[in-house]
Amino acid sequence: MVEDLLHSQPGILNFGIFFLLATVLLLVILGFVTYAILAERKVMGFMQLRQGPNQVGGRWGLLQTVADVLKLLLKEDTIPKLADKPLFIIAPVIAFAPSFIVIAAIPFTDKLQFADLNIGLLYYIAISGLTTIGMVTGGWASNNKYALLGGMRAAAQMISYEIPLVMSVLGVILLTGSLNLNDIVAAQENVWYILLQPVAFIVFIIASVAELNRVPFDLPESENELVAGFHVEYSGFRWAFFMLAEYVYMFAMASLTTVLFLGGWLPLFSFLDFIPGAVWFALKFMFVVFLLIWFRSTFPRIRADKLMEFAWKILLPIALANIFLTAIIKEIFKLL
Amino acid sequence: MTLSGEFFAFISLALVAVVGGVLLLNLTKVVHMVLALVFTFVSIAGIFILLSAEFLAAVQILIYSGAITIIMLFGIMLTRHDDTKEPKTGLLRKLLLFLGILGFAFAFYIGIYNLDFGEVSTTLHENNTEQIGIALYSKYIIPFELTSVLLLAALVGAIVLSKNDQEKEAKKE
Repeated sequence: MVEDLLHSQPGILNFGIFFLLATVLLLVILGFVTYAILAERKVMGFMQLRQGPNQVGGRWGLLQTVADVLKLLLKEDTIPKLADKPLFIIAPVIAFAPSFIVIAAIPFTDKLQFADLNIGLLYYIAISGLTTIGMVTGGWASNNKYALLGGMRAAAQMISYEIPLVMSVLGVILLTGSLNLNDIVAAQENVWYILLQPVAFIVFIIASVAELNRVPFDLPESENELVAGFHVEYSGFRWAFFMLAEYVYMFAMASLTTVLFLGGWLPLFSFLDFIPGAVWFALKFMFVVFLLIWFRSTFPRIRADKLMEFAWKILLPIALANIFLTAIIKEIFKLL
Repeated sequence: MTLSGEFFAFISLALVAVVGGVLLLNLTKVVHMVLALVFTFVSIAGIFILLSAEFLAAVQILIYSGAITIIMLFGIMLTRHDDTKEPKTGLLRKLLLFLGILGFAFAFYIGIYNLDFGEVSTTLHENNTEQIGIALYSKYIIPFELTSVLLLAALVGAIVLSKNDQEKEAKKE
């Protein structure tokens, strides 16, 4: 359906349809973010032997996040007097917009996808890098030393961890022979890449947690060193935008992990294929999100000086060795 | 000329690119300039997509988003960013500059107006990632390898420079 729309004549109707689709997607993602935050608080609560939110919206606290968002909307929007005003205002937009743009390329099932790009994987990695600029800008514009330190850390961390992330994915690309996310899922018909590329999967998960700025790699916003990192001075809805960007990336990264290593919408065994693809995707997706929350409540934060060493001296060589090995094995199988 | 979606997309992207470039020259604060540069680069990537060069577009954003962040950090750390004074330039220099710009624009106009690529193959946009890969690793393998050696030399140079600093500081302490 989207393919036909893309090739049709432009007009108000077309624009309206695209606008409507984007709005629906945004609402779905907002719904996800609402319940992802609740799930995070609940799961972390149970892991730390406490209840988590259980007052607003029944025993499970189902309306807790909605109440939080309402509170954020009503909060006073403060801009520090000495802040760089235009940059301060535009920074949350720059941080959030790419997170929403990347979702366009992710195939949820064989039919539910917005853009079938030939370079889907590269597109995701390229666009997601833009968020760093928003973070550094926000940190700089706040005119606050903690914010600036947070922004600097964000830049250093995200640029360093982008490299092992790309390198680990290269193994998958080598085996598939394509950057198209649909082709990558189709190539996992018989066996998922998590079994063929276990090393790449581990490197990818570590680097993706670092890209998401989550514990144990949450140095840009580590609250007990930098108050709150690059968004110290932000309040109300502008702050909510940074938070939103973070959780939308969690959505996107969990989807990407599912697509790359867990077989996307394909069923676990072929006799289970009466269950629709969307259900399979949702199950795997939720598993990855749970994994991310699990990491958050069980790992201590990594030290700032170890962070860079870990990326460059451990993750990168492992990822390179994995590429080398994959290439050799692929050639050997070709000869047989 | 028909009003197609492509036309609208091109005009808006080109506008953003040009405005970004002009702002880059006219703004006075370093971080503002760098941000203007972001808009220029991203909209140029958009123009690549309009030309069906999607691989180039993705690489453009991939390389420059990291590079711009680094430029921004350099701008913050290595310049006097609260200095907004404009350097004074004489009238003669401005006039010469204007003539130079006119000459450049004229030369470009002539060059582009009569440009003829000859026979252009029509399949370049299909699987362009694969085509670029094949061209790089077969036809242009030596320039490609030379570039990588150059980059490696720069990398080693950076490591050597920063290593020296550390040793000196250790001696001081």
